[in-house]
Amino acid sequence: MTNTNGHIVEASHISRIFPMPAGPVTAVADVTLKILPGDHIAIRGPSGCGKSTLLHMLGCVEPPSGGTLLFRGDDVTKLSDRQRSLLRLRQIGFVFQRFFLLPMLTAAENVELPQSEANVPKSERRQRTQELLEYVGLAARAAHRPSELSGGEMQRVAIARALANKPGLLLADEPTGELDRATGEQIASLLDRVNADGTALVIVTHDPALAERSTRILSMRDGRIESESASA
Amino acid sequence: MWVRCVLVLIGAALIWSTPVHADDTLPSVLISRQLSEGEHLSVGDVIRLSASDDGSSVQQFRIAGVYEPTPDPARLGAVIREVQLHLPDLLSLTRDPSAPSGSEYVQTINVALVDPADADAFSREVRARMPGIDAQPATGAAESTGPFIVLRRFHLAIAIVTIVASTVFLLALTIMLVDERRAAVGVLRLIGLPIRRILLQLLIEGVLIAVVGSMFGLVLSLLSEGIINRFFQWRYDTALVFVRITPQVAAICVAIAIPLGVSATVVASWALLRRNGLRLARR
Amino acid sequence: MNAMGFAWRSLVRQPARASLGVLGVAAVGALLFDMLLLSQGLVISMRGLLERTGFDLRATATDALPGQGPLIPNAVERTQAISQLPSVRSAIALRFANAVVLAGGPLGVYTTFQGVAGSGAAYPWTILRGRDITPGRPEIVINENTSTRTQLAPGSRVMLRASCTHQEQALPPVPFIVSGVAQFPFDSPNGTTIATSLQMLATACGGNESNEADVIMVASQESAGPSAAVSDVAKLLPDLYVLSNAEAVNRFERGGFTYFRQISTVLTAVTLSFAVLLITVLLTVSINQRLGEIAALRALGFSRWRVVADVFCESVLIVGGGGLLSLPVGALLAVGLDRILKRIPGIPADVHFFVFEPSALEVHLLLLSATAVVAALYPIRIVAKLPIAATLRDEVVG
Repeated sequence: MTNTNGHIVEASHISRIFPMPAGPVTAVADVTLKILPGDHIAIRGPSGCGKSTLLHMLGCVEPPSGGTLLFRGDDVTKLSDRQRSLLRLRQIGFVFQRFFLLPMLTAAENVELPQSEANVPKSERRQRTQELLEYVGLAARAAHRPSELSGGEMQRVAIARALANKPGLLLADEPTGELDRATGEQIASLLDRVNADGTALVIVTHDPALAERSTRILSMRDGRIESESASA
Repeated sequence: MWVRCVLVLIGAALIWSTPVHADDTLPSVLISRQLSEGEHLSVGDVIRLSASDDGSSVQQFRIAGVYEPTPDPARLGAVIREVQLHLPDLLSLTRDPSAPSGSEYVQTINVALVDPADADAFSREVRARMPGIDAQPATGAAESTGPFIVLRRFHLAIAIVTIVASTVFLLALTIMLVDERRAAVGVLRLIGLPIRRILLQLLIEGVLIAVVGSMFGLVLSLLSEGIINRFFQWRYDTALVFVRITPQVAAICVAIAIPLGVSATVVASWALLRRNGLRLARR
Repeated sequence: MNAMGFAWRSLVRQPARASLGVLGVAAVGALLFDMLLLSQGLVISMRGLLERTGFDLRATATDALPGQGPLIPNAVERTQAISQLPSVRSAIALRFANAVVLAGGPLGVYTTFQGVAGSGAAYPWTILRGRDITPGRPEIVINENTSTRTQLAPGSRVMLRASCTHQEQALPPVPFIVSGVAQFPFDSPNGTTIATSLQMLATACGGNESNEADVIMVASQESAGPSAAVSDVAKLLPDLYVLSNAEAVNRFERGGFTYFRQISTVLTAVTLSFAVLLITVLLTVSINQRLGEIAALRALGFSRWRVVADVFCESVLIVGGGGLLSLPVGALLAVGLDRILKRIPGIPADVHFFVFEPSALEVHLLLLSATAVVAALYPIRIVAKLPIAATLRDEVVG
């Protein structure tokens, strides 16, 4: 694995075009972006501007239609599906608007799952799970299933899950989208803490207050980055 | 009267064709299609028949025609090599020379009545007037025969097991399908729709699905009826019909399928509707 | 958590659905298992029955079944000649007729009447009470049904009216003594059978044709085997049609038994299609309800093969659980179906339609395994080709 310039992600003129029956749709066009370790980036914009699509490309979930995308120096477009999966498993964490916890597993089992997939030894992952649940303040709810947790608690478990394999980059797509203001504030604080502890963070959000907590704010419109600003 | 005569071929030399002498005085016979194909015989050929295993008392006959034997389930798989003779010819062929004349014997007499509805009464009268003679109406004879009754029960048992398995699967599927709509049902409950109203809607859907499914099943069974019959008729070289979907069979199947489908929907829905609306609506 | 553990948790999450799926497979699997037993059951049972009689060859005048073709002339001498072949251990001549036993009611009891000749050979029946017949004496053995219906026992005297050809006859009744009650291997459950020596049967039949038999049954020497004996008998008596037990069973298989093999094939195919279709639907609907979760797992780094393995393991668990349950269910069902089919008239009481053989179990497991694989193919295709980002978007929008 090559690692140039210490960047986690280097996106250069990436685009994403979806072929549709009525004609191709350009969701992302000509985006150039670099993510450094410890970055705290917010991507905001109106609905349909391509925020989530850009996030998925940065997370190697969706390959770009054009341009170059390097993850720690490796060209993502040249990786196989298996390699991209491994990359996501070990180096990227995802937090979703809808949490997507597995309902048949407990909170602890949800957090253990990615570690198990990464072949982390049992004793090690048990300990790590315990630590992560304490980190997010849910050690006492380890044995509870998602149906027994509130929305905020589920999102905290999801964050713990995303951090399970110690990724260098955490991507969050509208993490407070389904939460009330107070709970959203708690999640935002937790994400700040994650970033402060060294994990690069990219958040897609409609919420201006959440965006203001990041050091870099990217405004998107019609698939392009319209502007980049630093937060006050 | 044509009488069926099953001649067991004794040895290879019992029947063979000879050059046609165009002898119109020879008595005529009919041979089965399978015999015609197996021995390469055709209409007009002259054959010699003997009823004894040493080939004695041979008589010549001319083939007047080739017929398709009436399919007989009891002889499934057998190659029907048959010859049909006029009764006097058969008696002449099989009579023991040392036996006095008048010793002819037949096994069956088929009777066609002017009015078929008289069959039962006619049978009773024959039995009463001729002790030792058993007369039976032809319709119902097949069904009264032991093997067919047993096979019918066997098929019924198989059908019952299939219905049980189908019902279990149907219930599993309807539970899943109804469960997919749990959020919508939960919202309807929360906004105040009574259970009965929602159940009625689900019931109507269940009836529609059951009716359409039954019709589809009927079409599928009619298609497979043709395929199965064609395959087995080819396999056994017979005209026997193996599967027949009668209107009665179709009606019974639909009468079972539709209530089953509706019941499965109701059971699956009822279990769902008993739950709290808020729990249903929450993802 | 490995794929099997994950699959188990996925199924347990919806216990009603999973239980019904397993029960459905059990019902279908039971039917499948029974059809496999039926496909060869009658043949295996008949083969066993033929072997238990102690004779492994049969010689008849033609290729018709014994009792349905012409009689073998000079049967006694031919039997004697056959029994002296080095490859033959013993031989008996057997003739079939019918008789009315004038006891047990005004009309008597209609029975099958067998006549046997042959020295140094065991008769093809087993004495239960009393003793066996003495050749040359007017003695008969009767089966249990005959004994029950006629109230005859060893030592009883009885009159018989025989019927020995297809023609109507008016033979006078002949006196016999019941020497014993025997079990005949080919008796049907309600069948009535009596037997005597060939000479006595000929006497009861009017005294003519005393030296004719329907079949000569032969037991080969162990060292020679049935094939050698068939060859020797055929050389000695080329006008006879000789079959070993194996050849006779093959003939049954090609003839009347074939119906059951064919119906078992058809029902096996239908059952398997049914199972594949329904398990496919069960899995597909289940997966469609979890697409968001699956896309999230893929986004978290689960490989395509891992989610495919999860689906496959679900199929294995449903089919495996149902398959295991199908064995005892199938065994019970087979007992019931066997009881139904054994009521076909003329089927020997010792013959069964459903007979267990280890190969049937192997085929059953193989077919169920194939079912699990085939049924999982379509749902596997769904998860393998799942567009992760599009699915995540759809879940949010939905």
